Amino acid sequence: MRPSADAVVIGGGVVGAAIAYNLLKSGMKSVVLCEKSTFASGSTGRCGAGVREQWGAEHNIRLAKASIDMFEHLAEELGYDQDIEFKQKGYLILAHTEKEWDQFKKNVELQHRLGVNSMLLTPEEAKDIVPALNTEGMLGATYNSRDGHANPFHTTRAFLQAARRLGGDICFFTEVTAIELEAGKVKRVRTSRGDISSPVLVNAAGPWAAVVAKMVGVDLPVYTQRHQILVTEPVGWFLDPMVMSFSIGIYCQQTPHGSVVMGIGDPDEPKGYDTGHSWQFLREMASIVCRLLPVLRDVRVVRQWSGLYTMTPDAHPILGKVPGVDGYYQAVGFSGHGFMLAPVVGRLLSEMILGKQPFIDISGLDLGRFERGEYMVEPSVV
Amino acid sequence: MRKTELAVVGAGPAGISGALEAASYGVKVTLIDRGDRPGGQLVKQTHKFFGWHAKGAGTRGIVLAEQLARHIRENENVTFFGSTEALGYYSDKVLLLETPRGIEPLQCERLLVATGASEKMLLFPGNDLPGVYGAGAVQTLMNVYGVRPGRSVLMVGSGNIGLIVSYQLVQAGVRVAAVLEAMPVIGGYAVHASKIRRLGIPILTGHSIKEAYGDGQVEGAVIWKLDEKWNGIPGTEKDLKVDVICLATGLTPLGELLWQAGAQMEYVSELGGFVPLYDENMETTAKGVFVAGDASGVEEASTAMAEGKLAGLSAAWSLGRVPPEEFTRKREEIRNELYQLRAGPTGQKILRGLETLSKRAKKVTA
Repeated sequence: MRPSADAVVIGGGVVGAAIAYNLLKSGMKSVVLCEKSTFASGSTGRCGAGVREQWGAEHNIRLAKASIDMFEHLAEELGYDQDIEFKQKGYLILAHTEKEWDQFKKNVELQHRLGVNSMLLTPEEAKDIVPALNTEGMLGATYNSRDGHANPFHTTRAFLQAARRLGGDICFFTEVTAIELEAGKVKRVRTSRGDISSPVLVNAAGPWAAVVAKMVGVDLPVYTQRHQILVTEPVGWFLDPMVMSFSIGIYCQQTPHGSVVMGIGDPDEPKGYDTGHSWQFLREMASIVCRLLPVLRDVRVVRQWSGLYTMTPDAHPILGKVPGVDGYYQAVGFSGHGFMLAPVVGRLLSEMILGKQPFIDISGLDLGRFERGEYMVEPSVV
Repeated sequence: MRKTELAVVGAGPAGISGALEAASYGVKVTLIDRGDRPGGQLVKQTHKFFGWHAKGAGTRGIVLAEQLARHIRENENVTFFGSTEALGYYSDKVLLLETPRGIEPLQCERLLVATGASEKMLLFPGNDLPGVYGAGAVQTLMNVYGVRPGRSVLMVGSGNIGLIVSYQLVQAGVRVAAVLEAMPVIGGYAVHASKIRRLGIPILTGHSIKEAYGDGQVEGAVIWKLDEKWNGIPGTEKDLKVDVICLATGLTPLGELLWQAGAQMEYVSELGGFVPLYDENMETTAKGVFVAGDASGVEEASTAMAEGKLAGLSAAWSLGRVPPEEFTRKREEIRNELYQLRAGPTGQKILRGLETLSKRAKKVTA
């Protein structure tokens, strides 16, 4: 590990990897990435892997739309020799309550205004897209064919390999233990494998973002919460889009390999750092998904696991600088959709750090918005 | 939710012995097995056991299985759940079971993992063709269901299982083309090896399988000689027309539930693979989780029964059911029995493995 660098990025998840790559690509010479475990070992490698622009708040829609544009050419841009498995088979988002259906109509209107070609579907039209779907009790659905999913491990690895080729120093099993400031500026980063002097520090520590922020005296209004997920044995192809419901609180997608990945958003899950899992989830997940997609009845579960969401008060990430700590930047609090936003956030953060005008206006996603009271809660999360 | 004091996963010799021992102190036991009857691998072992007569040697495995099953049926403290799979063990001490009635959680105060071992697979082209079997599967087909696996068999592995199954195949009227052994010497007891040599079956040491071939199923196998570095020697290939390839290349402990319980696992090659660290009471580093039999290291049925008994005794003691002096005395008796069972030449490898394990255990507690 180098003794000094132009920038240190904390976190070897997809967000940190994308930031490190973009800094190097934009001409920064010396970038060190510190990861306390190995790549994608936190939230990235545990996520549901979905990528969608069907959001209900403007910032998320803009960011996701730009991210999908980038995902479409990502493997090529990064010179990755394998497949990141980006598949655009759409998201089918189901409405089961009047309230939800009203919200979807508003979402689609906003999405159209921002250039997203989402559609409102009747239950019959939804069934045309997913013939296996049980539409009982469904009022309708929204669908957008540009949405899809990608492989989080390959995507992160693609960013890290590209960063390494550009001279980046990617350090696994290197835990940041302290950050030294001098006259309100970032000076040095202490790690379990030595110190690095650097004028720039990027906090992309995922669930540990608040711990890192504390090292520079910044309090983040975030909490972490466990989300559980499972994968089945591979089965014949039956599910093109990601199927999702906010009122039931589930998502479900079939991977290119044929296995089916699904999860539940349960507000009663423990907050903190518990990444264990429960039998109750297994039973609940199975009963819900078999109601929605009865063909899954006899399919076997091969594995269950959990990961952490890092939630902000408005379910939008916190991006950029913090007044009073020069050289400190953060890309944190992704509230469960960090994987899909990583490509665009990588570019935006590097533009901010290098003093350029970010290509999307994200001034409203700074930490100060919560104090100013200038934020709008994203309505469409699982 | 259904509750039990001690859940025992695996109704083989280890699990049954553990269940009976704990039940003898009034512990309410739930014994779980994937099979529809208790007995584990014993239900297919038609041969007589060797060794210590007081501990069941001279008895056939199937007879022993019947005896043990009867004890289970007659014991009012033991509930047997057959055709039931333990899917997972969770932090709230719940075993999730897949029973013929559906998925059921079972809360258990103590858990004994006696899941046994699974057969090792060999890597060679064509190993996924129908007709490639594990020796255990061949034994089950023949000895439990009365089905011959094929007409002509290549046996890979000359340990006791490979030798005994070869003999049983011949008894069932199946031709055994050859027994292969990668090592320079035969792995199993001479008494078994002599029996099949007398039948004219060649045992080829220093040989292994190169590939299996066939159109949709095994039609033959190519074998070859190995050099001292275990590589096949080109030019020594021989083609054997067989329709079954039987792999008897060893066993590896089944520790999934132990991993899930958070028990510390160590790789010890003499014991067959990953095994849990455990103390003199057969308790793992996961509190209240005990282990016995092949899951703690691959051995044989007599040691499995002794270990099971010790684990069942310890579980009962930890639930406050065994007077301390009785516990200490009985524990010493069983440990002494295990020592004697491992005293022969075949026990040396196990003792070496156990020593490695105990050194690692000390490192952990230090």
